[in-house]
Amino acid sequence: MKKPALWLALFLFLFAGALLFYRVLFLGYPLLPTAPGQTWAISIDLYVETGTEGAKVALGLPAEQAGLMVVEEKISAGAQSLDIHLEGPNRIGIWSVPGNREKTLVNFQTAVHVKRGRLGGDTTPPSRIAPPAEGGEEEALAKRLVAGWRNLPPPARLRAVAATASGRWADPPPENQEIRAWSGVREKLGGEFALRTLFRAADLSARSVSGLLLTNSVVGSPLRWLEVYDGQKWERIRPDTGEFWDRRVALLPLMHGEREAIRVVGGELREVRYVIRREPLSAWRVYFEQTRRSERFLDRWSLFRLPEEFQETFRILLLVPIGALMISALRNLIGFPTFGIFMPVLMALSFRNTGLWYGLGIFFGILLLGYGVRRALDKLRLLLVPRMAVLLTLVIGCFTILALVGGRIGLREFMAVGLLPFVILTMVIERFFVLVEEAGAAAASRTALGSALVSVITYFLISWEPLQLTFFLYPELMAAVTALQILVGQYSGYRLMELFRFRKLVASR
Amino acid sequence: MILALARKLKEAGILGMNRRNASYIMKWNPRSAFSLVDDKVLTREVAEKYGVATPPIFLVIESHGQIVGIEEALGDRREFVLKPARGSGGSGIILVVDRRKEGFVSQSGEVYSREGFTYQIADILSGIHSLGGQEDRAILQALVHPDPVFAAVTHQGVPDIRIISYLGVPVMAMVRLPTRASDGKANLHRGAIGAGIDISTGKTVTAVHRAEIVSHHPDTGNPVSGIPVPFWDKMLLMAARAMEMTGLGYLGMDLVIDREHGPFLLELNARPGLAIQIANRKGLWRRLEEVERAPREIFSTPESRVEWAVKTFG
Repeated sequence: MKKPALWLALFLFLFAGALLFYRVLFLGYPLLPTAPGQTWAISIDLYVETGTEGAKVALGLPAEQAGLMVVEEKISAGAQSLDIHLEGPNRIGIWSVPGNREKTLVNFQTAVHVKRGRLGGDTTPPSRIAPPAEGGEEEALAKRLVAGWRNLPPPARLRAVAATASGRWADPPPENQEIRAWSGVREKLGGEFALRTLFRAADLSARSVSGLLLTNSVVGSPLRWLEVYDGQKWERIRPDTGEFWDRRVALLPLMHGEREAIRVVGGELREVRYVIRREPLSAWRVYFEQTRRSERFLDRWSLFRLPEEFQETFRILLLVPIGALMISALRNLIGFPTFGIFMPVLMALSFRNTGLWYGLGIFFGILLLGYGVRRALDKLRLLLVPRMAVLLTLVIGCFTILALVGGRIGLREFMAVGLLPFVILTMVIERFFVLVEEAGAAAASRTALGSALVSVITYFLISWEPLQLTFFLYPELMAAVTALQILVGQYSGYRLMELFRFRKLVASR
Repeated sequence: MILALARKLKEAGILGMNRRNASYIMKWNPRSAFSLVDDKVLTREVAEKYGVATPPIFLVIESHGQIVGIEEALGDRREFVLKPARGSGGSGIILVVDRRKEGFVSQSGEVYSREGFTYQIADILSGIHSLGGQEDRAILQALVHPDPVFAAVTHQGVPDIRIISYLGVPVMAMVRLPTRASDGKANLHRGAIGAGIDISTGKTVTAVHRAEIVSHHPDTGNPVSGIPVPFWDKMLLMAARAMEMTGLGYLGMDLVIDREHGPFLLELNARPGLAIQIANRKGLWRRLEEVERAPREIFSTPESRVEWAVKTFG
């Protein structure tokens, strides 16, 4: 008898679990959907002066990579069209500025979403293609300088080379004369070039990067750093001091290689300003953008693919089965009386518009008024259906008056009263009256209070955003909810209330 | 503590609502048979076929047009009962004890004008008192004069006897005694008391009043236990026949004992309540399990089932 129900519940659990694991393990869905990372809005202002010919501006833009997602991008001033070129790891936006302009503002805005701890943890090995040799003479000198460290393991070799930026030479140190020669190279060609050349001479993959430190700030130029591969991961190093950037620091690359992050051809760059600020972008938006980009089957069938105006409904709808599960549990496990199963759920849904306290107040107000009217109607001896019609009209009349009062005093909660479930309210009045007649006012009040309590709990449940987001991302959880409903449905033990009802029978033994 | 209490109840064989619904009602009571017990007119028709007595019906009113036929159907009878065919919990029932020029006099002394009485019937027809709210029929039935056996422990009204039978075996019984609080109605929810009846001796035992165990009637002050119920064997047999009559494996039969005609079947209930356990201080579940373990041959006739029950449930 009971076996099939248990098997069905188990199957539903496994189904939900399998889909969930698949999404988390293979599609990179988050286990805790409320902590997806940080969103940063970056506004880039360029002031450009152009000659007669007009100018072209090439700007390094954030490129999507593991852990980094570009949420939105737009030009808001100074240019009509933007061409985006992909060159290796770089994404370069190119646009034209008309000629004969004095200090034209070009503004570009982008928002990126960074998964926690993912910018700085790059572990992809460098490509095998050797970078082009840079300056024969300096390279030969560099090879002599690092010759003594050739047998060190890569991480130690990396640290030894990095330390040279601050003038410290690890054992065995090269000859003093060559160190002096190297200082000359550094002065002439710059610390970044010198360090990069030394890394390459020591057989370590190194690349220059221009980018931004993601922290609330305004900067006049991008930051430059070196990325060096130590055999396991890329270390990020300040070219002037040779210090390492902590792995937790989020550095956003804009341009890889020796190129500048901004170049202007046919004009002059007068001023640059990067405004970086943390944006409280909602998790909804992030997942929306994420699934919109994916062509995976489950992502294409995600609720996030619905037009946004229809998504709102489903956020709430998906939680209603939990409310129903709770009501089943309250009735069959505890023995708590409510006016049916739908009434508390519908009340909870309408509380979202009227607000909890106003909603409850209106519910009890109309119930009491309705009860009084129902008593009076009893003396008029109306037939059943017309009598219900009168009660329905009474409820809607109350709504109208409340809405009008709300309109006069500017109370939105009263104006939203029309969203209360009027049919259910009418039936509750009738059932409340019958219950008072048959089982007494105490029992009827208990049932009314019980229903209100369940409505309140359901209201908080369906309004809890992390839960909404979880079910929206993983609608298969409804199968798990069904499994629980089935388990409650096949529970044949005592209800909590029955333990108290029958306790005298065992106490007297 | 909760688990310990649950274990104790289980050991005592107390039946809970969930188990009653899942293991007995859903398992043994087909939905198709419900209409038979929910409608008193249908119940009476099938009871007659099996030789189970019910109070005579004078008139079944199915439409408003038939209301004018009341006088003719009643003839010169001065007392009768108006009840809905599909009513539950005693709602909508009026006991008429006299007819006067100005109208019908109810047992509680209220006088219904013709117009007021017509309204009551119209209410019944529109389904106010019916179980599912569907349209209903009104019945004019003979008034039962209760046997005086329970007079000392009854406040007005008619006491009725509830026997629960499982697979045609009577397993537990009680008599419901009206009180002032219940307004003369034999309804436990309204405050009537329920006294358990020992199946084998047919004598009342302890009683339940609003979930409390009591030994005396709250209004008359007389002890409720030790009263021998007349026609006990006959009533057990009626209850045992209910299974063949209705096709329901688990049901409650409500009977009244008329002073002149003996026991009448009043109505059947496909979802009998659990308070009977408190009235008897006994668990139903244990008895239901005993019935399941009973030898096959006792199930062949109602008589053999009653014989087994009397022997077993002492």
